[in-house]
Amino acid sequence: MTLFRNTTLRSGRARALIALGTAAVAVAALSGCATSTSAPSKTTLSFYSWDPAATMKPVFAEFEKENPNITLQVTYGAPVQGYISTLQTHLNSGTAQDVFIITAENKQQIMDGGFAKSLNSEPFVSNLASAAKATYTKNGKLYGAAVSSWGGGILYNKDLLDKVGFTAPPKTWDDFIALCLKLKAAGITPFYEAGDGIPVSVAALVGLQDAKLGGKMDAEIFSGKTTFAKTWTGPLTQWNKLFTSGAESRSVAGLTGDQVTAEFEKGNVAMTSTGSWALGSIQTAAPSLKLGFMAIPGASSSYWAGAVSPGYAINAKTSHLAAAEKFVTFLQSTKGVAAYQKATASITTTKDFTPTLDPALTSMAAAVRSGDFYLPQVSWPSNSAALNTEATAQLQELIQGKTTPAAVAADLDTKLKTLGG
Amino acid sequence: MITKDLNLLATHISWSRLRESAATNIFMVPVLVVFVVLYAVPMGQSVFYSFTDFNGYSNETKNVGFLNYQTIFADPTMLAALGYTVFYAVATTVLITVFAIPLALIINRKFFGRNFVRAVFFFPAIPSVAILGLVWGFILNPLGDGVLNTVIHSLTGLGPIPWLADTTLAQLSTVAVAVWTLTGWHAILYLAYLQSIPSDFLEAATIDGAGRWKTFRYITLPLLTPAMTVSWLLLMTNGLKVYDLPITLTKGGPGYATTTITQALIQNGIAQAHVGQASALAVLFLLIVGIVVFGQLALSRALEGRYS
Repeated sequence: MTLFRNTTLRSGRARALIALGTAAVAVAALSGCATSTSAPSKTTLSFYSWDPAATMKPVFAEFEKENPNITLQVTYGAPVQGYISTLQTHLNSGTAQDVFIITAENKQQIMDGGFAKSLNSEPFVSNLASAAKATYTKNGKLYGAAVSSWGGGILYNKDLLDKVGFTAPPKTWDDFIALCLKLKAAGITPFYEAGDGIPVSVAALVGLQDAKLGGKMDAEIFSGKTTFAKTWTGPLTQWNKLFTSGAESRSVAGLTGDQVTAEFEKGNVAMTSTGSWALGSIQTAAPSLKLGFMAIPGASSSYWAGAVSPGYAINAKTSHLAAAEKFVTFLQSTKGVAAYQKATASITTTKDFTPTLDPALTSMAAAVRSGDFYLPQVSWPSNSAALNTEATAQLQELIQGKTTPAAVAADLDTKLKTLGG
Repeated sequence: MITKDLNLLATHISWSRLRESAATNIFMVPVLVVFVVLYAVPMGQSVFYSFTDFNGYSNETKNVGFLNYQTIFADPTMLAALGYTVFYAVATTVLITVFAIPLALIINRKFFGRNFVRAVFFFPAIPSVAILGLVWGFILNPLGDGVLNTVIHSLTGLGPIPWLADTTLAQLSTVAVAVWTLTGWHAILYLAYLQSIPSDFLEAATIDGAGRWKTFRYITLPLLTPAMTVSWLLLMTNGLKVYDLPITLTKGGPGYATTTITQALIQNGIAQAHVGQASALAVLFLLIVGIVVFGQLALSRALEGRYS
């Protein structure tokens, strides 16, 4: 009897449990249906940002406001090497973010390795500047969408230059050296240029040579049609006059960009070569300085150094393709570019938005927006990092007077040969 | 019966020994896991990658045999980095030893403010080397308004000296900053050993008429050889692995004057995406460090044996 009663109880409880379970499943299913029809589930899109949080947060907020169903999960990298190495590890292990940055330092590996999705079919492509498209295109496929570029030239302190009767930027390199010597004679340190990279002036002087060859110089060097010796020796000889004439101290071989900038901010030097990206921080550090930018004068004309900024790339293996496309599209839109430009004060290059720039950038804005600039590291089709390291080291030797312009150019040919470029 | 008891006892003993050794070995497991995961596996991977064209991005690699090793020996940059690294390691080891032992002898004496002086000399080893590099970058700034150049100019009227802008001066400057940073730390190490020398030895030497030099030469120095073994080992291994100080002071320049092996490894592996070549350099470097360290240990042991 007891046994029977227990069995009955058990079966009763079992039935009740089954009934409850069925009801719960039904409720869950129905509620699931209701959710899917009234409020679509949120997509979390991961992005590995090149720019810092302070710069990008207003841009992200604008995007999330426009796309309430997409939540951005942003990781901020530390450019350049920190960002590149972390992304390298993520790509190698298949854990890279849905959207990341493609830049001069990693574009070759990303484009060759098929890590980024081709953006050719995206509607925003027609809005990109032609220089931006060319920088991140390989074999007809566009892998990165860049919204801005930077220009580099000679940043000058107007008050110091006024002391020697400066009225207009020098038209030739010799005029520039004459200006430097005039400043020196007046007891003013004329010009400092950091030696910890390929100097802006070298880039622009070589850029003039590239322009003379129809913009095909690097392609021809790498294909063996010409050499560094044939194309770089002239510009380097011209540049070396800075040191042989005494216009610039040989001590710059050991100076970093930060040290040179600090000297300029203190008013200890009349001119320095730098990029448009440095203007904001210099103005913050030395608000009383009256500043102007001039292009680097060559033998008969002037040119700007510069490059297309890093571009946004979509991970080829993303499982949130639609959201990634929406995000990159937003970043190219008028609203996205306006928010980015407001936060960075950069020279944006998208066709449907004209940036409001600092007056000091007026002289370079048109050239930068139309892509009339040159930077060897970006223009070299491959082995850019290795050649950059080699060129920097050789130029430091040239500054010290321990080598010659011809030897530097010949060394770059040897390095390229070693690299199999 | 006795045999059976003995057998039982033997079994019991062997079991208890087994349990004991198992218990001991269990404590080794975490260390072993850390060693395998963080050292052995990456080391094995490096050896494997050194024979491939791995670029750090794609796992599709091609066997290239000894090509990466050939490239290293043909590349003047790598050889320059190797040369400077060995120079740095040897120079810092010798100079720090030469300065640290006398310093340890001085701060071992009784004088007013001794503990403060010890703290002052030990202090440079506390801040991050990167911060020290930045501070010394200001001091050794090659321009006229660099701290050292300003002092020299005001005292002697000499023009700016290109401390970090000249190949030789940059190499010497990095070594000098390293010596300044680490001498105090190693002096404290010697001090610890000095204080463990029994006072009987020194008293006996004094009674026997030994002067300060002879006491140092025949008592103190021989008894400091174990400290020298430790100090040299640390200095040589850290000197060969150096990265942070030269990179913050000179970024490896001018030219390749202060480029270190570690910097070349990072440049090749990360910036230039030549992980295979960087791995080959790492393997070679490991062998060189191994040879240097074992050679140095053998020398130190021989010295210790001779003096003991």
